[in-house]
Amino acid sequence: MKLVDVLAIALVLAAVGAFVAGEAAMTRAEDLRAVYWLAVGVVSLRAAVQMVRPGARP
Amino acid sequence: MRADGLLERLSAIGAAAQASVPGVYAWGVTVAPGAWARGASGLAKAGAIAALLMLAVGLVGERRWVGRARAASLWGFVVACAVSWCAAPAGLSPLRMDGSRGLAGVLGWALFAFVSAAPALKPPDGEDRGDDAPPNAPAQRSTRPDVIYVTVGALLAGVLQSAGWRIAGVERELLGRFIALAAGLAVIGASTEIALQRHAPRATPSDTRRLRRAMAALVALAILALAGLLNLALD
Repeated sequence: MKLVDVLAIALVLAAVGAFVAGEAAMTRAEDLRAVYWLAVGVVSLRAAVQMVRPGARP
Repeated sequence: MRADGLLERLSAIGAAAQASVPGVYAWGVTVAPGAWARGASGLAKAGAIAALLMLAVGLVGERRWVGRARAASLWGFVVACAVSWCAAPAGLSPLRMDGSRGLAGVLGWALFAFVSAAPALKPPDGEDRGDDAPPNAPAQRSTRPDVIYVTVGALLAGVLQSAGWRIAGVERELLGRFIALAAGLAVIGASTEIALQRHAPRATPSDTRRLRRAMAALVALAILALAGLLNLALD
């Protein structure tokens, strides 16, 4: 397994952590924090998928 | 054997058709009770029926339109369920949905997401490679790591479903459910991509190229991290 694969897996885990933090912020009615964490989760997932996708254009 | 026969029959149908089984289960646990509860509007019932029809569209249309029918069925089903929930939000309230039913619904939707994101089951006897495959064709890689990747993705999606059940207010709770569901689908999709990457027929690009490809997202992530740190410092 290459370092980039490990980084991709770490980004997926980070995305899950960010989504959980976003949901927790939503529970506390902290909307701005919720949006922030959800954005972090989406961008982390996007980065992970871009890294592992074999045929994507640069 | 009977189990083999069942697997062969399941393999003969497409991914959308395979996803329709957990879809019907998730619909039966989380959508139908709210749509046909006392006082539910006609729109809630129409949304619930439309959701079932979208599953049928995937079942029938996948042979002809393959990917497009699958996407239309998946998103049509989710949107129709959302319409039904929005028209009868009381169906998701803690008064109507106890813990066990909520857990059953979470499992149903997680299974639906898992089956929808995963590729269709292949015939077990290697029919997809065929007997006319070249003798020097590369041997298929073990599928055990794939199962681990996808299982971990499904577990992480399950973790996401467990959060946010204590949100006050029906509308916010509904929004929380939608976000958790969408995030779970995205996580399962990403873990499936990582698993499928191992079987890519093309040569894997170099690490530098892969990092460059993700550069835009990584820069956005760095900016978000910086903004978060600045916010912490200002607080």
